[in-house]
Order: sequence, then structure tokens, then C-alpha cells
Amino acid sequence: MSTYNKSTGRKIGLFLSVLLCLNACEKSFLDQAPQTTRSEVNFYKSSSDFNNALIGVYANLKHVGLYANGSGALHVMTEIVSDNTENGATRQAVNQGIFEINDFLTLISTDRVRDCWIGLYTGIGRTNSILDRLPSASIAQADKDKYEAEAKFMRAMFYFHLVRLYGDVPIITQEITSPYGANEITRSPINQVYDLIVADLKTAESKLPLSIPAAQAGRATQGAAKVLLGKVYLTLKQYDNASAKLKEVIDAKTYDLLSKYGDVFAHTTSFTANKELIFAVQYLGGQIGQGSNMWSEWAPFNAGTALLGSGGGAGNGFNKPTTDMANAYEAGDLRKDASMLTSYKSLSGQEVKEAYVVKFRQQGALAGDSDVDFPILRYADVLLMYAEALNEQGKTAEALPFLNQIRKRAGLADKTGLNQADFRLAIEQERRVEFAFEGHRWYDLIRTNRQQIVLSAKGLAIKEFHKLFPIPQREVDLNANLTQNPGY
Amino acid sequence: MKQVALKHSFWYLCLAMWLWAGTTTAQTISGKITDETGQALPGVNILEKGTSNGTSTGIDGTYSIRVSSGNAVLSVSFIGYLNQEISVGNQTAIDFNLALDQEQLKEVVVVGYGTQRKKDLTGAVASVGAKDIQKVPVSGLDQALQGQVAGLQISQSNGAPGGNTNILIRGIGSISGGNEPLFVIDGYPVTNSGIGNPLNTLNPNDIESIDVLKDASATAIYGSRGSNGVIMVTTKRGKAGKTRIEVDAYTGFQQVAKKLELMNSQEFAQYVIDGRNNGYLDNVPTGKITDPNSVRPNSYQIPSILQGDVSKLPTYDWQDAIFRVAPIRNYQVSASGGNENVRYSISGGYFDQQGIVISSGLQRYSFRANLDGNLSKRMKVGISMLPSFTIQDDVEAIGHSSNAVIQAALAISPYIPIYDDQGNYTNTFAPKEGDISYAHALNMAKNLKIDGTQFRFLGNAYLEYEVVKDVKLKTTFGTDLNYSKTRRFEPSSLNPTLSIGQSVARANNAEISNWLSESTLAYKKNIQKHSIDALIGFTAQNATSNTINATAVNFPDLLLDNISGGTVNAGGESFVVHNMLSFLGRVNYVFNGKYLVTATMRRDGSSRFGADNRWGNFPSASVGWRVSEEAFLKKVNAISELKLRASYGLTGNNAIGDYRAIGLISSTNYAIGNVLTPGLSRSSFTNAELGWESMKQLDLGLDLGLFKDRITITVDYYEKTNTDMLFNIQTPSATGLTEAVVNLGEVQNKGVEFGFSSRNLTRAFKWTTNFNITFNKNEVTAMSTDAEKILSTSGGRAAYAITQVGSPIGSFYGRRILGIFQTDEEAKAYGKQPFAKGGDTKWADLNNDGKVDDNDREVIGSPHPDFFFGFNNNFSYKNFSLDILTSGMIGQEIWNQTFSVANSGVQNGLKEIAQERYISPSQPGSGRYGRSIRGSRNGGSAGYAVQDGSFVRIRNVSFAYSFPSQLVNKLKVNALRVYATATNLFTFTNYNGYDPEVSNSGDDLRAAGLDFGTYPQARTYSFGVNLTF
Repeated sequence: MSTYNKSTGRKIGLFLSVLLCLNACEKSFLDQAPQTTRSEVNFYKSSSDFNNALIGVYANLKHVGLYANGSGALHVMTEIVSDNTENGATRQAVNQGIFEINDFLTLISTDRVRDCWIGLYTGIGRTNSILDRLPSASIAQADKDKYEAEAKFMRAMFYFHLVRLYGDVPIITQEITSPYGANEITRSPINQVYDLIVADLKTAESKLPLSIPAAQAGRATQGAAKVLLGKVYLTLKQYDNASAKLKEVIDAKTYDLLSKYGDVFAHTTSFTANKELIFAVQYLGGQIGQGSNMWSEWAPFNAGTALLGSGGGAGNGFNKPTTDMANAYEAGDLRKDASMLTSYKSLSGQEVKEAYVVKFRQQGALAGDSDVDFPILRYADVLLMYAEALNEQGKTAEALPFLNQIRKRAGLADKTGLNQADFRLAIEQERRVEFAFEGHRWYDLIRTNRQQIVLSAKGLAIKEFHKLFPIPQREVDLNANLTQNPGY
Repeated sequence: MKQVALKHSFWYLCLAMWLWAGTTTAQTISGKITDETGQALPGVNILEKGTSNGTSTGIDGTYSIRVSSGNAVLSVSFIGYLNQEISVGNQTAIDFNLALDQEQLKEVVVVGYGTQRKKDLTGAVASVGAKDIQKVPVSGLDQALQGQVAGLQISQSNGAPGGNTNILIRGIGSISGGNEPLFVIDGYPVTNSGIGNPLNTLNPNDIESIDVLKDASATAIYGSRGSNGVIMVTTKRGKAGKTRIEVDAYTGFQQVAKKLELMNSQEFAQYVIDGRNNGYLDNVPTGKITDPNSVRPNSYQIPSILQGDVSKLPTYDWQDAIFRVAPIRNYQVSASGGNENVRYSISGGYFDQQGIVISSGLQRYSFRANLDGNLSKRMKVGISMLPSFTIQDDVEAIGHSSNAVIQAALAISPYIPIYDDQGNYTNTFAPKEGDISYAHALNMAKNLKIDGTQFRFLGNAYLEYEVVKDVKLKTTFGTDLNYSKTRRFEPSSLNPTLSIGQSVARANNAEISNWLSESTLAYKKNIQKHSIDALIGFTAQNATSNTINATAVNFPDLLLDNISGGTVNAGGESFVVHNMLSFLGRVNYVFNGKYLVTATMRRDGSSRFGADNRWGNFPSASVGWRVSEEAFLKKVNAISELKLRASYGLTGNNAIGDYRAIGLISSTNYAIGNVLTPGLSRSSFTNAELGWESMKQLDLGLDLGLFKDRITITVDYYEKTNTDMLFNIQTPSATGLTEAVVNLGEVQNKGVEFGFSSRNLTRAFKWTTNFNITFNKNEVTAMSTDAEKILSTSGGRAAYAITQVGSPIGSFYGRRILGIFQTDEEAKAYGKQPFAKGGDTKWADLNNDGKVDDNDREVIGSPHPDFFFGFNNNFSYKNFSLDILTSGMIGQEIWNQTFSVANSGVQNGLKEIAQERYISPSQPGSGRYGRSIRGSRNGGSAGYAVQDGSFVRIRNVSFAYSFPSQLVNKLKVNALRVYATATNLFTFTNYNGYDPEVSNSGDDLRAAGLDFGTYPQARTYSFGVNLTF
């Protein structure tokens, strides 16, 4: 019996030692890291990690709250809100938010207003993740400088949108690692936001390359930083700074107007040939998720194959030019037909009178899969901003040739003999038709504080408080310290 | 081990046959076996002791056995009765009268890591036997369990063969984690995996019993997987005795239980014309109703076909094009038997169900082999194998009309024919003036191919060794292998406006393997009045899931229907590991057969939990008092059993997904230099504290047996509090991310379960009744802030469900409807809806800010029933038996978003809309449906979408006849039974959609109860035969 007990003891001992062994190898058994998803554990180490993270920042331009693939919130908040365009689809629950903005019935819950805020801060978060880690990263200094400059250029661009659309906004310049890390952050005054933007752009300007090869098309350059900085100065009414900065760009002669307006947008114009584009959202067809929807989505509602061809989509009437927009073009303006049309022929050959944007047309592209890039900064803007800055400094005569340079390409006669006030209006009109559907109109109107006069004269229900969009309800709910803009 | 067992079994079989055939002094004995009341007992095992020679009694209780000699001893055994042994001697007729085994009378229930006598149970466990599972001809045991168990809420939200079911034990305990109970098949905790519903791989006919563990006392032994309850599935195992071969076959047909009555072309024409005119006048202030299409925006143009005489337009019911009468059949052969040393049970089955929507169906080949053997007096081994192969043919049935068959068939204009003049599918995509484009439902059903196959092998082997007397060591090793694939091909021919290259093919292969190693040490001892049953153990389990998928586009032609036909442009691989280590223990102590105590403990470590929170402890304790054993109640004859139970414990839910604790970096690609360029961005927060969801449960129960247990009643009251839930909190965008996964919040479920079973009549005419009813109240009691609202949706609809403090999870959320404005003046006078006119919906201004908008939403319904019940009756007379199963759910609402109840004047709808809608102040309709308008400026969601979803359903009626054994014995058959079954025979409901048992959101219970083109339920008629040799 005693041997029996011994062997039993051994058996139970074995059982327990197996237990202990398992306990010992517990660590490796339970420590599992993802193998097919990248994790923070080993990221932000090499130069290519930072480069990939930067591509992620650029990719944020296609956030649904920014430009998306042609239907992003920025189009709604800069074009549809203005007298340029309206929403041409049938009203229904999914596009309610577009109509709320279109009708100046914007609510704090309006989805596009929310998406835009999310999109811009998502981009800012991505730049902060890079900028936080760059100083201590063991990579070449040249790479560090380049990545810092690009990240700061993009961060400035995101904040520039924020401050113009929402006014005072929280300033975040570091990665927030806790989900609760932004629950009590308050809005910073506009001037502080602009201080950050200017500082970021100055760094970007000093560290960005003068030019980039075609293989890098889509990334920021020194020129882009200068133009954006010029635009910021212009918005801040620092006209001397603006004209000085923009003059640097003009004098460098890196960029030029293309002789044909339509070529600026044509996907057939190569990167090297397109000397007018300074910074653009990059689109690429081929069903790889990088195509633009600005042709099929912006085609007339239900136009279908008659206009878009086989596989080209149905047409959704997004960003539909208003009659007022169509009438804004002077007779003989070559830009009109390159920008918009007012009718198309149905399958049965009937003429259907619905206006639509053709600036980003790529006939034959599959739905949502066209190559046409969307310009954010281009040389024509440099010229018109420069002219505006000069005029505001009283140098109207000096400014006039730059306005006429734009008009000449459009096939229009030179303007002459304008006083400062007339010149302002001429610039406003010229910018409207030159940059129609490119997301400038609303910003131009609020920069000159003309939105109330111009839009209400056309019967739009705009009120003074509409110059800012509301802080989205989602954000106010999560952070009680966020105050609301007046009027909402 | 498998080989050893097989060899043994073969050897014993040979031996038995030799013994049987070779005896010279053989004699035949026959007789009848009756119970304590003198009733014949069918199915009693009679074994010649020491041999494998055995038989069992027929339906009339008679038997006949040939034994080797007069020295033979007959051993008679039957569950619930005391064994009897009689030496044969020179007798040729021996009758047995079996006495009830008072100890064994209460059946044994399967609990975690063992079994327990029901009378000793202190936890809430309900059992369902094989007979009750096999009554209903369905693909999976989940459907068979509907209405059978109190506290077990099963709804089949999708009528497709093998479609999803929602299984809840005692309510919804998790907001964003999993809510399905843990399934334990023959001791193996399985994880949901494979294509479709994981229970599809299991043949219901292979199941011996199902035990539902409900309270913490019963489930805490499963620790971090126990909080949603546990369903123990036990497959059939062999018993010593004569070889028994059973053949079961049924075949039948199914049809859609209800078709919707839609508008005809004339009604639809007027509805469309009104919709376009109303929309035009409201949206274009200068518009006049007489304006021709040429000046109207596209949205408000009147389709040219409706501009002339519409009275001659034909009406096509597209439902007829997609529904069919579909066959269902099932064949199974099984064999079982063995002797005291080796027992086996094997089966093979084939199940084939075609769906009532064309191009859908499920086929299953399933096999089972269970072997048990005694290697020595102290050592037992066994093996279970459940291989199966499932073939699923799917149709895109559910969802928006542009990509799903049901809505496409409902929404299309009824004047559009299915085929054109040439006999081709009508081109429904090129809208003529003012008309809209539709998907072609029939083309989509037939030519959009979605196929899947799944091979599953669930295998389990154990060795049990009695180390010393009363101490048993059991080691189990098992594996669950799942190899599945799905293929999808969407040819461009589905839509004639697409170019040929726009076909899309997808391929997905998944390899999911799971292994389990388990060792337990059990001690069982009765010392005088003390009875102890204790267990400790540890387990390790690994789940590895590896999937690969690829998508191809740019097809040059339609010659190939797979990814090789085009250019592969996307794909990926996912490799996910989930490991668990656990220690467990349990003690049951019974004093004097009256006072019961159980304590359990489990410690779980999981790779899912964050590095700083990797291990959790899950204890439980329970007590029971068998009052009926006390002297003062023993005298009360009417009460045969009275037990009071109480339990409390902590369990967890680890269905929180893998790698959620680790901050991830995701692809955010971009085009740089006109080349697709990889980009990467942070996509989630790191949360090293992330852990399981916790659940504390109190259960108070009462078991009552009356009149020698002719009536048994079980009542349970429970309170479940789930805390530390896996919670997707919204984060301020300023963090750079919009959500984070944390443990947070609290949900409570309180309820009462009542189960009643009665043998109403027990003489020649027998009648038994089982009734169960459950009341459950679900309430969210804490979230990150009291103001937090989680709005949820499914099917791409606008958010319709809310999870917030003070309401049940996933309550319907919308504006409160006050009625329909009867005139423009009334709308104007209301003043809060500036764009409303007569015929538009009037909503309450809940926040009194003078305008109605989305800030005026509140809870307007709930998809969860107030109570649900099952009421099942069995009648039998002589050889006839009749089963009627009814079940119901009362008090829940449905958010009906099928086009059939829309009022946009675009898609076709229910006939009742044409008849009841508002047209003008003089034709206001029934007040239920507003005016037809396309592009309403009054906005808001259609609140009449919320409808009462209560129903009572005659789930199953089954009629069976067993042929007398004298008759069938002549055919060398032991028993022959034939039956006819009608399933889903009738549903009592006010709901106007296909079926009130509906939900588009699958397992996401935050958005339950949406009807948006649901695959309807079938009504099935089947006929079967059951043969036993």
C-alpha cells in the first residue's frame, strides 16, 4: 500500500509540475502581438516609417471631411454654401446635411460640419505623431528636416481650414495618447492659431525642397509653403507680408500660367508640363481606391450612360452650378465651357437642362475612378492674391497687370482705370470665375467680409453668424469646455 | 488511441458473434418488461451478462433473446430504474417489473467539467433531451431549441437556410462585446468560426442532450467566457447492449409563409405622379403642377410611361420571380452498441435544404464517431469525432434594393416586366424620363454567385484514470479545425450600363484551428451523511485564425467567374492568435441529502487582455435546501420535491476581439507621383488595462415537484449586472482618433423565469404539457457620461437605435409622431416645421425650442420583448402521437424600413399605402400614412416605421405513428415510425412585413429589430420515417 501511495504521490506531483511548467511558459503563451497588422510596438523607427507616416498625412486630404474622392465636406462648406453651387440630388435622409448647409439651416448636428472637424483634427493628429518622435529618431538629419517641414506644412494647412471655418479652435501640437487626453481642452483664440500656422509655415518654407521630381508629385515644396503663407498673410490682412512672400514666388519663375485654362485640370497634362499646379490632391484611376468621383458624382442627377458612358456611373448632381454662377461669366470667357455646362443630351437625344461641372471631367473613366487631380494651390491664385495684396496697400496700378494677365488667358479684355474699391470687386469677380468649384469662393467672401452683402442680395438666407460654422455637437458633448459659436 | 480502441471494438464484436453462433445449448427467452405501474416499458436494454449479446424491448415492452445456456444471467437496465438480474435456468418466459431508482430518478445533467445529479444542483440549469431537439426539421440545433427553455431567447432573424440566429441567455449583457453564449460540445468550448452560423455544422440528430447553464454558479467554471451563459451539447454515445441501427429520413417542401400585397400599376402610377408633383411644388417655389418635364428638375419629372392612359398597364409581381417552393431533405444512418468494455456510437447524415429565395441553399454531410473503452478497471479512454462538410449557396437577399434581391423585387415599379420582348432580362437600369434605375432582382439572384464550403473537424480524446480510490485524473486533448472558403462573383452583366470590365470577383479562404488541452483531478466520496464532489484542473486553449482574401476587377470577358478571370487588385492576409490559460476548481458538498453547497473558482489568463490586466478571477458560490427531505414535509404526500436555491458569482466575457489592447497602425495609402504609395497612420489607442467584461449574477430559485413529480415547476429570479464592458467610447477628434476601446459602463438584466411541465393524462391517452415563460428587463445603468448616446444603425440606414443610460440597449430612437397635418394651414399654425404641408408628419417639439429637428428625438420603441414563452404539448394514444409547439414574443417593436412602407413616391409599396395614404384634406386617408412626396423638405425619419412586433407562432405540428412491433418484427425491423410535420404553420401578429422575427443587424444587438429586405421565413411541410433494426 505504501508503494501505491508513493506512485500516486508521484503522479500527482507530475500533474502539479505540468501545471507549474505551464505557468512558466505563460508569458510567451499569453503575450501575443498582431502579425498581420502593424502596431505601435515597432513603428516610427526607421526613415521609411516616417516617410510612410507622412504619406498617411497626405492621404488625409481624401478624408470624407475634407475632399474625399470628390464628395467631401469641404466642397459643401466652401462651394455649396456659397452662390456658386447647390445640391442637385433629391432630398433624402442621407444628404440632409448638405441641404442644411445649402439652405443656411446649419445645425450643430449637421453631419458635414462634424466630418470636417474630425477630418482636420485627424490630419493634425497624424502630423503630431510624426513631429513628436522626429527629434529623438535615429535617422539622417536631412530626412528629419524634410519630414518635419512636410508635416508642419500639412499641419498648417489643416489649422488654416479650421480657423477660417470654426474660428477659435483647440491647439494640439503633441500626440495625445490617452482617450481622455482632450476632454478638457479649451478653444484657443484665432490669433494664437494663426501664430502656430505662420510658425509652421516658416519652418516648412526653410526646410522644404525647392522642387520635387515627377515621382514625388503630390508632396509639398518650398513654393507651396510660400504660397500658403502668402494666403495666410492675406487673410490676416498683413498685406505687406503677403505681397513680399508672393513676390518671391513670382520672381522665382518656378511656376507659370498654362496658356490654355482647361489644360490645368486635364489629367493628360503631365506633372512637369503643368507649371501652374503648386499643390493638389492626387487622384489615380485603376480601381485601386485612389480614383476621383468628381466627374460622375458631380454629373447631373440620374444623367446615366447618356453623359457618363458605360460604367461611368449614374450622376448625382453634387456641386451643381447655380444659374447665378452660369451668369457670372462674362461673354466670351473661355473658362466657362472648360468649367461648366448647362445641358446635356439624353439617350433619346433630348436636351436636358441641368447644369454641371466639367472642370474635372474625364470622359470614359469608370464611376469614381478618374485621374483628375484637385488643385489646392495654383499659380493663378498667386497672381490674383498678389494683385489683391498690392491693391490693399494702395498700389492699384501696380496690381492691375496681374489681374489682366489672368483675364488675357481667359480671352477677356484688359481692365483699365480701376480705383481701389472697384479693383476689390474686380478681384472678387475674377477669383469667382477663375477658381469656380475649387473651394475658394466661401473663403474669399469671408476674407473680405463680403459674404453677408453678396449672398443675401441673391436671396440666400444667410445671417451674420453664419460666417462661422458651429462647433460640432459631437465635440461639445465630449468636451464641456468647448464653447459654441454665437447664433447656434 | 483511436486505433487501439477500434481494434478492441472489432475484436470484441468478433468474439461476441462467435459466442452467439457457437453455443450449442442455446435457448430463447421472451417476456415483457413493465414499470412500477404495470405499463409496458419500451427501449429497455436486456443483456446476457458477461457478453455483448443483448436486445431491447419494443414499443409494447416485449423482448426476445437467445442466450448461450441455462447458466446465463439476464441483466436488465433502464435509465431511472433499478437494474435487475435473473439467472435464466430453464425458464423460457421471464417478465420483469422494474422499480424506480429513487436516486437516479432525477436525471443527471451535464455541467462544466463533469456531471451532477439534478437533485444536487444548486445552480440554474435547464435540460433538453434528444426527442425535443429532433421534433423540428431544421438545419441547426439553435432553431430546434426555440421555445424550449425558460430564459433562452432565440430568434431567427434571417430565414435563409443556415441563416443567422440570435441566441441570448437572460438578456443582453454586453453593448459592444459578444452576446452569444459559450457552446461546449462534448466538453469542448468552441469558438464561433467558419462561414455562416457555426451551429450549421452540427447535425441535430446526433445530439443526446442539451444543458443550458444560466446562473453564475453554473457558468463561473467557464470564467471569462461564462457571462453570456453556456450551452452544453452532448452527442450520443454508445451503451452496452445489442447493436442498434437506426435510419431516419425525412423529405419535405418549403414555401414563403407570407407574401406582401403590393400596389398594382394603376395605384402605383397615381402614387408616383402625386409624389413628383408634391416634391416639385415644395422644392421649386415657382413651379406649377402643370409644368412639363422639360422645365422640371430630374427628381420631379413624371415618368413618360405614366403620362398617358395608365389603366391598361399590366402589373407584375416580382415576388413570384424570386420565391419558389423549395425542397428539404435529411437522411441519417446511425449505429450504436458495444459491451461493458467497449461502446460505440457512429452516424452519417446528409442534409439538403434549398431556400425559398432562388439560388440559396445549404447542404451538409455530417459524421460522428464516439468510442468509449475500459483499458483496465481503473483506466478509461474515449474519443469523439464530429467531422462535417457544409456547402452553402447564398443569395444577396438582405439590404438596399440596389444590391439585394428582396428589396429589389419589392421596390421595382410594378409595370416593369421581368423579361423584355426578346425574352432577355428587362434592362431596369436605363431609366427613361423621370423614372429611376432599379436592380433586376431575378438577374441578381441567379447570376450574382456567392458560394461557400466548410470542412469542420471537432475531435476530442480523453483518458480517465483512477489514481486512488475516489480520485480520478482525466486528461483531454481536442481540436476544432475549420477550413472554409467563400467565393463571390458579381458579373458586369447584372447591370447593362456597366462596361464588361466592371465584374468583381472575390475569394476568401479561412483556416481556423483551435486546440484544447485539459486536465482535471476529481474526488468523489460519501462518508456517512457527508457527500463531497470536488474538482481541480487546468486548461490551455489556442485559437489561430488565418484568412486570405483577394479581389479581382478589370475582367476582359465573362468566361471565368473567379479571380483568375480579372486582375487581382486587392487582397490580404490576416493571422490572429488567441491563447488562454486557466485554472479551475469546484466543490460540491451535500449534507444529509438536504443541504447543498457549491463553490467554484476559475482563473483565466488571456492574450486578448492588456499587458497590465492579463489574469482574472471568477468565483461563485451557491446553496440549496431540499425542504422536501425535511421531516415536516415528508408527510405531505402531494409535494414530492421542494428545493430552494440561491447563487451568486462573478463571470466574464472575453468576446472583446483580438489585439484590441494594442495601438495599431493602419494603411492609409495615397497616390504619389501617380503611383499607389503605401501610407501608414495610427488607428487605435494603446490600452494596456483592457480586460474582460465582468458580470455579477444573483439567482434565487425554486424547484417544486407535485404528485410524484407529475407536475414539476421551476421558478428563478435573477439579477445580472454587467460592468467594465468593452466600450467603444467616442473621443474628441482633437486626440487624432475618434474612438477608443475601454472597459466601462454598466448594464442590468433582471428577470423571472417560470418553467412548468405536467403529465396531464397518463393512461392510454397521454398528454404532457411543457410551458415556459421569461420576463426580462434590460437597462443600461452607466456609460462614460450620463449624456452619452451611442447611435447605431445597420443596413446603411440613418441611425435608428440608441444605447443610453436609463433605456434598454438598442432602443428605437426618433421623433415622436403626433399625427399627420390635415391641411397646409394646420401645418403652418403649428409653426415648428417651416416646410411642412398638409399630409406631412407632425412631430413633437420635445425640447420646446420652437423647431422640430434631430434634437427632438427620444426613445420610441424597443426591439426587445417584454416576455417570451414556449407552450408545447404532446398527445399520444396507443401508437399515435401528436406534438404541437407554440412560442411567442410579446411587447417588442420592429423598425420597418422596407420600401414597402416608404412614402417617397418612388419605390413600390404595400397596397395599404395606396389605400390609406393622405391625398388631400378631403381624402385624408386612415391617418397612418402621409402624402406621397419625393424630396420632402419636412425631413426626418418616417416614424411609422416603428410597429408592434408581438407574435405568437405555431412553430411546429408533428404527427407520428409507430407500427406495432408484432407487425414490424416480421419485417426484421425492431421499430418503424412514420411522421408528418408542419413547421411555422401560422403566426398571429399585427406586423405588416414578411415576418415579425426579423433583424438586419445580425449579432449587433445595438441595432436589432430592423426590417430592411429580410429573407422571409419559410413554412415547411415534411414527411419522415424512422426505422430501428
